[in-house]
Order: sequence, then structure tokens, then C-alpha cells
Amino acid sequence: MAVDAANPVPPTYPRRAGMDQVPPHIPQELIRSVGITFSPEFLEAPHAFMADLHDKQPPLFYDVSMMGNSWQALKHADALFILRHPDIFTNEGATPFPRDPDDYYYFIPQEIDPPHHRKYRNIVDPVFSPQGVLKLEAKIRKLANDLIDSFIDNGECEFAEEYGRPLPVMVFLDIMGLPQDMRDTFVSWAMDLLHSNSREIMGETMVKITAYLKSAIADKKAHPDDGVVSLIAHAAPGGVPLSDKEVFGFVAFLFIAGLDTVFATMNNMWLYLAENPDKVAEMIADPDNINAQVEELLRVWSVTFSGRVLTQDFELRGVQLKKDDRITCILPACNFDPEVFPNPREVDFHRPRQTVLAFTVGPHSCMGAHLARLEIKIGLQEWLKRIPKFAVKPGTHTEYRPGGVVGPEAVPLVW
Amino acid sequence: MPTVHYIEANGASHAIDVPLGENVMRGALYNNVDGIVGECGGGLSCATCHCYVDDAWTARVGGPASKDEEELLEGTASETKPNSRLSCQIVISEALDGLVVHLPESQY
Repeated sequence: MAVDAANPVPPTYPRRAGMDQVPPHIPQELIRSVGITFSPEFLEAPHAFMADLHDKQPPLFYDVSMMGNSWQALKHADALFILRHPDIFTNEGATPFPRDPDDYYYFIPQEIDPPHHRKYRNIVDPVFSPQGVLKLEAKIRKLANDLIDSFIDNGECEFAEEYGRPLPVMVFLDIMGLPQDMRDTFVSWAMDLLHSNSREIMGETMVKITAYLKSAIADKKAHPDDGVVSLIAHAAPGGVPLSDKEVFGFVAFLFIAGLDTVFATMNNMWLYLAENPDKVAEMIADPDNINAQVEELLRVWSVTFSGRVLTQDFELRGVQLKKDDRITCILPACNFDPEVFPNPREVDFHRPRQTVLAFTVGPHSCMGAHLARLEIKIGLQEWLKRIPKFAVKPGTHTEYRPGGVVGPEAVPLVW
Repeated sequence: MPTVHYIEANGASHAIDVPLGENVMRGALYNNVDGIVGECGGGLSCATCHCYVDDAWTARVGGPASKDEEELLEGTASETKPNSRLSCQIVISEALDGLVVHLPESQY
């Protein structure tokens, strides 16, 4: 059922959470409670935990938790199928962020399935296309170097605070046309929304974000500029201006999606590289292979999940799924599928190119993927040029943030 | 503006004006030509914008632009042929005005 984006209504799918809300059609032998995104075992080493799922769990199982019950898909092939069949596995209503039912809106284009989805993507694709983001290359490179200047003489830094976060977030705010001096406030909102694991805190945070973005949109309507918020506020695909609900849902979605993901990814990557100087040496010795290096690091350090809802009964991998069931593709696990990536835990910068699920696939494939790849590539190139040898600060115990974007709390580095 | 002729597997033909500097994948996406999916948006990661360059145009279009494109072409859903290209990697120039590309039966 296609939604009407200009007249949004909350989804009617049941929200099931906890063992007493397991529907009767779920086979007992497939029920698990593995604690993805929050159990101590997960938080100790999340990517190893997700890679291990291939050995420890069935390829498709039903996970029960207080954050929501859902099927979990581990196989790369199943994820491709699920994500490429939005008619069966819809994104409409599958996004977990709470909203006011009396002032409801859709996250656009995330919650809009084809055919209407393309209308929205066409508005912003020129900005986020590979050619579009290349225009930012010089600016990103300068920003990377400015940031490195600010700490290189100290011989140490807290990577997440001083490089991993400011680099992508400052670039993103520039693209959106949002004020840099709100950076830390925005990031704290993203943290509360994505990592609190509390429906209550998530709800309170959405109220703050909503109030802020509504005023930002009103401001851009009155004072257009060349940022993406203004672009969306003034968009009129096919000559029809977007409604207020569409503009808001589009801006809100980009805001939430753009703040946290790249820096979580970079934190993961730098932590790994700090612990694997041989890989750093290999990268420095082979600078022309940077694109493959970025892609391989993305494979093993993916940070997100793709949730969908069944629009109909459907049998997948011999398991009967029912209409209204939720299903999550554990993308980081799919990237460790040994059937697609032999010796999946080995970082190999010379793997044949395959579809890496870092940015999901299908119509909802991440529009920020090209920007993310470019930021990571430049972030690596400039860092490795100037700080080729670095290590994790001795005595550090790495803690991971719980929640739907997987990365460490802090990455203290020394050189 | 150069014109690109997209011919779907069922024979349906679309003549689309594609701006200089744009690529053949996006020319299809922006004009509802269904035979090209282009889900990654031109990032050389999905191989869902596979096309067959018409024999009359292969010399002007050339072969794969990179090793990445070559490797991705090996994994396309429809048969890879000598004239297979990823359409996101074909950039429109004046010299390609009138280009004819045939679209495969399936992109995945």
C-alpha cells in the first residue's frame, strides 16, 4: 500500500516487544534473544559478535527484545532479496524513531517506497551524486588538514572528538546550510536518539529536533541559500511545491541520517588501523589502491541495520514469515557472509569487487554513500600522510555505544 | 542536448535527451526508463545499471573505464557480453549524441 506523503498517518503495524508478544506462527526453535546492539557480549566487540552469528545462529531467526521483536537476516543473498523487493518488505512504517501521532510525518525518502520515492531522490541526487560530492573534495581536504594541525604537535588526540566527528559533521552541516556553532548540540541530539536505547529519551529528543528544524525551515523559506535544507524547502517536482509535511520529513530524515553514521564508521576504522600497523603500512605503500582499501574497510566496519515490515505472508529460506512481521537485515553480519567473502574476517585490500552492504541496497540505498566514501578516503589519505604511525593509547579499554549505529565511545590515539 | 536511445529487453525504445556531462544511468533514472536500476547511484558498488552498447557505438564508447567496473561486470545478473558496460560510467559528450544502448532482461 503506497502512502500519501502529503497526508501522513501513523502505521498500523503492531509493535511487538518482549517474550509475551511473540506471535504464535513463530517456530519455537527459531526464537532467540541475542541482545544485538545492547547486550554486554555485543558491546564487548560488536563486529566480531556479528561475524560470529554465522556460526552460532540460524541464518534467519526471530529475535526478542524490549526494543522490539523482529526477524533477523544474516545472509548476504537474503539481504539483497529483501532490500530489493519493497513490494514484499516495505520501509513504510519501519523506521524506529518515535513521532507525535497528532503531528505525524514520514521520514522522506526513507519511508516512501517506489514509485513515489524517486520524486524525492531526484531533488537531492545532484548534490549527493559522485560528481556532486567531488566538488567538495578541496574543502574536505583542507578541513582534514586544519583539524590535524590542531592536535598533531600534542602527540595524541581523542580521535572521535577531534577528527572522526568534526570532519564529517562539519562537511554535512555545510551541505545542509545549518550553523556550525550548533554542531555539538546536534551531535548530542543524535546520540540521544540513536544510542539511548530508551523510547522515552528518543521521544523527548525528537521533540527538540522537531522544534529546531521547523524554525530552520521557516528561515530558509524566507531566506533561500544554496544549502540542501533550502533546496528542499523550495523544491517543486513537476511544478508542484512539496507540502510542509514533506519538507519537514525530508529535512528531518537527512538530519538524523547525516550526523552520526560516518563518524561511527571512521571511529571503527581508525581503532582497527591503530591496532594493525601492518595494514597501515600496506595502505601507505599502495596509495593507488585507496578506493579498494576504503571499500574493504567499509565491509568489515559497517555500522547500520536495515529494518523492513512484511506486506504479505512470504516464505524465505524455508521459514514462513507473516504479514506485519518485522525483519532486520544485520548488514554488518551480511558483510561477513563466508559464501560471498571467503575468509570474511581477514581484511584483504585485493578482494574482487562485490556488493558491500555498508550502505544497503535497493531503492533505499544510502544517498550519502558517495559523500561518506569521499570523506573516509580523504580522511585516511591526509591522516596517513601526516601521522603514518599511531597506536591506541596504552591502558585504553574500548567501550561501544549501544544502539543502531555501531561504533566506539572514544578512540584515544598516540603517536 | 545529446539524445540517448534506450532499448529495453522487450523492444520498447525511449529517446531521452541527456545533458552533457551526465551519465547514461542517470538519464534513464530521471526519465523513468525501468530497465536501469542504478541503485547505488553511480558509486561502482551495485552493478544494477548494466547495459549493452549497440555494436555501432562500441568503438566510440570504449570498454570498461576501470578495474572496478570490469570486476562488477563479471557479477551482473544478465549475461556479460563484450559490449557490456555499467551505464553510470558512460559520460555523455557531443560525440555520443545518438548513442544506442540495449538494456538487459534483469538487473538483479
